[in-house]
Amino acid sequence: MDESKKRLVQRLIRRIPTKMLKTTLEKWGHLTGEQLRAMDSIQSKWALTESLLAICEENELAVKHLTELEMIYMIDNPDQGMWYAFQLTDPGDDAQSVDLMQFKEQFKSHLREIVRQVSVKIKKHTDEAVWIRIAWGDTYSRPDHLKPTYVVHYLQTPYVFVTRLNSKQKPILFQAMVLSTRYQYFKDANLSGRNLTAIRDLLMRKYQQVFPTKYPSPLTERKQTVTNPHVEREQAKPAANRLQMACEAFGGGTLPQLQSAVYKLETKFRDHTNTLMTEREEPFRCVVKFSSTNLLESLKNCASSGIASTPVTPLLSSIPLKGKNYFVITDNGPGPSSQRRQTQN
Amino acid sequence: MSDARSEKKRDKLPGLNTANILLVESEEQFQKSLADALVEETAVTVYVRLAKSLPLPKENEESRPRIDLVVFIINLTSELSFQSAEASLKYLDPGYLLGKVCFMVTNARNVSVPTKRLDAVRKLAAALHCPLLFAEDQTSDGVTNATKRLLSILKVSAGLVPMATALYLSSLTSCTVPPRHRPAKLRLAPVFSGGVSLNF
Repeated sequence: MDESKKRLVQRLIRRIPTKMLKTTLEKWGHLTGEQLRAMDSIQSKWALTESLLAICEENELAVKHLTELEMIYMIDNPDQGMWYAFQLTDPGDDAQSVDLMQFKEQFKSHLREIVRQVSVKIKKHTDEAVWIRIAWGDTYSRPDHLKPTYVVHYLQTPYVFVTRLNSKQKPILFQAMVLSTRYQYFKDANLSGRNLTAIRDLLMRKYQQVFPTKYPSPLTERKQTVTNPHVEREQAKPAANRLQMACEAFGGGTLPQLQSAVYKLETKFRDHTNTLMTEREEPFRCVVKFSSTNLLESLKNCASSGIASTPVTPLLSSIPLKGKNYFVITDNGPGPSSQRRQTQN
Repeated sequence: MSDARSEKKRDKLPGLNTANILLVESEEQFQKSLADALVEETAVTVYVRLAKSLPLPKENEESRPRIDLVVFIINLTSELSFQSAEASLKYLDPGYLLGKVCFMVTNARNVSVPTKRLDAVRKLAAALHCPLLFAEDQTSDGVTNATKRLLSILKVSAGLVPMATALYLSSLTSCTVPPRHRPAKLRLAPVFSGGVSLNF
């Protein structure tokens, strides 16, 4: 029995919750009905591991089959760990015509050119997404299947989402990606979050947006619920106004779930009374981090309830507008430091 | 013209068996559930006005009835809530305060509340001779209790209780600042229910 295979099985069983194991194994399709039923009746994780290992022996399943199982589980449950968004820029003439087969072949060959010991598995998911699992090895060691990098790319779009990428492997992946998609550059989109679909929706603008208008939309009229005639809101108009502004900045429907937003301030310190700091050559650095289980929803609520002033400062509204949640604010940047202080309220 | 003016004046007279209450809360959360519970009252017709802060908008002046009781709801976990109530108070006529204003505090049991803030609210209520109520806003029981307390004050303020006037009530129920040396734990006990029982 191969040691690496054993450890991979152990890890898989440990990661997949028992109640999801059955559907995942069914999707995998390498087990007979009888084996599936046998697996279903086992309760303990240890026994499941032993049983799956025995089945692997019996059906002659190799590591590559097991990685497929891992991919199936990962595609169904992508919200684990941090996902980072990247963007390809400057498309070549034939960038739009890259199809899956071509991409698959080229990506693998370009990656193998740089690293010899690498195991790549590419699978197309139903919603146009191409899932790539890369197990890295180096010159002297075989690919490590326990720490794979996952890459999700939407063909014909410049967006790439990556999780568990080592900084050492970053340039390698970038080069292979750029060459096989026929783009010129690869840049960090400054967006990260635990929820893959959320950051995808944010970057690809797949959430319900509201555009500035002078006239109230029929939508808001419909939303008004019948309240008791004995209860009257004195400041209903400003409240509706605030809600409209909040919706303009953050969108109307449910918002993608972001966990944090970071603002890094690098400006010159300006204070007439404090010459020591003002005359310093290096910039004054400060980091403001907002975090929440659903950041955009809470920011929208802040604006609509009047805790944050409206119209929403461009610093906050640019999270959904630019699809970023990491900002560096410099002296020539979009927002002066006074604005930043407002947002802390 | 004179007709319209007299009409307006008549609007501000108390109605038969009605009471008007104004709930001021910067967060606009608890006031909604309170309002829904208040209008359920059957013995008296209760009209509720909700506001985020004072002053109230001019354009509603015509339709606004005579307000019998103003309640400032303060969420103790938020400094903003307290500051907003403090700022709104300035727009009330000083002569109006006695018996017509009360403070309602939520989240007083929360661990993250600095004791200084509760003291500040107490001092504010004591300085204005207003009652200070403590309420629980998360549970429906808490809302019902808070509604009951508000209704008993409201009925007096609206002149619906024979032999009791707002001024008389306020002298009994106004908040007092506790002496410094008492332990912090004891200070959380509701001030309002301590002195008098209010069963009208």
